[in-house]
Amino acid sequence: MRVSQQPAYILHHYSYGETSLLLEVFTRTYGRLGLLAKGARRLHLRQRPLLEPFQPLLISWTGKGELPVLSGTELVGDSVFLQGPILYCAFYMNELLIRLLHRHDSHELLFDAYGSALRALQSQSSAEVTLRVFEKRLLQEIGYGLVLENEMTDNAPIDPARVYRYVINRGPVRVTSGDNVEDLDHAVTIQGSTLLALAKESLGDVTVLQETKALMRAALGHHLAGRPLNTRKLFRNIKHTPFDERD
Amino acid sequence: MSGTQERVGTTPAIEGLKQALRRLPGVGPKGAQRMALHLLERDREGARQIADALQHALGKVVHCQRCNNLTEQELCAICSSPRRDHSQLCIVESPADLIALEQAGVYQGLYFVLMGHLSPLDGIGPEELGIPRVEALFNEGSVKELILATNLTVEGEATAHYVGELARSRKIRTTRIAYGVPVGGELEYVDQGTLARAFSGRRET
Repeated sequence: MRVSQQPAYILHHYSYGETSLLLEVFTRTYGRLGLLAKGARRLHLRQRPLLEPFQPLLISWTGKGELPVLSGTELVGDSVFLQGPILYCAFYMNELLIRLLHRHDSHELLFDAYGSALRALQSQSSAEVTLRVFEKRLLQEIGYGLVLENEMTDNAPIDPARVYRYVINRGPVRVTSGDNVEDLDHAVTIQGSTLLALAKESLGDVTVLQETKALMRAALGHHLAGRPLNTRKLFRNIKHTPFDERD
Repeated sequence: MSGTQERVGTTPAIEGLKQALRRLPGVGPKGAQRMALHLLERDREGARQIADALQHALGKVVHCQRCNNLTEQELCAICSSPRRDHSQLCIVESPADLIALEQAGVYQGLYFVLMGHLSPLDGIGPEELGIPRVEALFNEGSVKELILATNLTVEGEATAHYVGELARSRKIRTTRIAYGVPVGGELEYVDQGTLARAFSGRRET
């Protein structure tokens, strides 16, 4: 099988033998897949930057089965240059994709969301907002979309003035006075206004952002099955990043 | 070649040697066989020399206590040289990078060799790279300038930023090696990414 000129990003690469690379790529049409880039570590200076993560590429490959072989790479549009804390955010998105997407499942909307998130990071937009929107769209695309506009029990519209408990994997439940509202692994306390803001992806407010972060962490944690993300672990001690847990 | 267990014309010792040789970078089954037969058949003296040299090096070569590079003393030749500038510290990923910089002959300061780079997706973090030892060097107070010479890959950038932050928080001057068009390079043949950075990093002449 020969596939040519597919929009794709490289998520990660591993050394393979002396001169080759094993690429983990995310394509728009064919989903996440592994490709062998033969002799890539000997590539001429001109081609090598095209095998770095985060660049918008058109790639071609041949062969089927477990490990097709990369046959061409081209940059589409401008090359992406990420530096500092936003680079950690980009690694974090890549780890989420590698951990949560099954190979060969097409996710065109998510592919586009990933591209916009990378561009937003590069343009110095709020990294927190960018990551939360990306996480929300990721959950939606893999079939675990959050219920944000109606209550889980009676489908009543969410009231921005009320407080809810979001039961992970199910949805929001109204909190009535006297309820014990401790945050548990499977439930997060959250304002109605935050749920609605997340539905509209308008996360400017500080409280909204904090509550969304707690909700997303619980929801993603559930799907990551208790295996923490390396990126979050490594970067939690760095100041002024979305992973800083001291604030 | 038959599918039987015992192959004709070889012995367990020869097979063992072939297996051992295959650990070398770039050596496949054919190459390992050629080397093994060559040593046993035509150059047994050479084989003895290799065995002795390996034994000797394994016993002697350790990591420098200060810069983490390979050395035979507690401190390597660079770290113990009074002629090197102890106020500059250059971070590189591998001993090969250090050798490349030394051959370029432009740097008179000290190094720290990370023996890798931050690789968040593989779980390789600051501890695995000995970055706490770099912090200890900062805390000694003699370092006035940190030069980040990690590779210009995304992992190299992440590593440079991480170490750079540690230095900046201690008010140590921090620089990153420049990116750009290679000497003798023609713009037409330079990739867009490199060219874009070379352009944004232009300077007055």
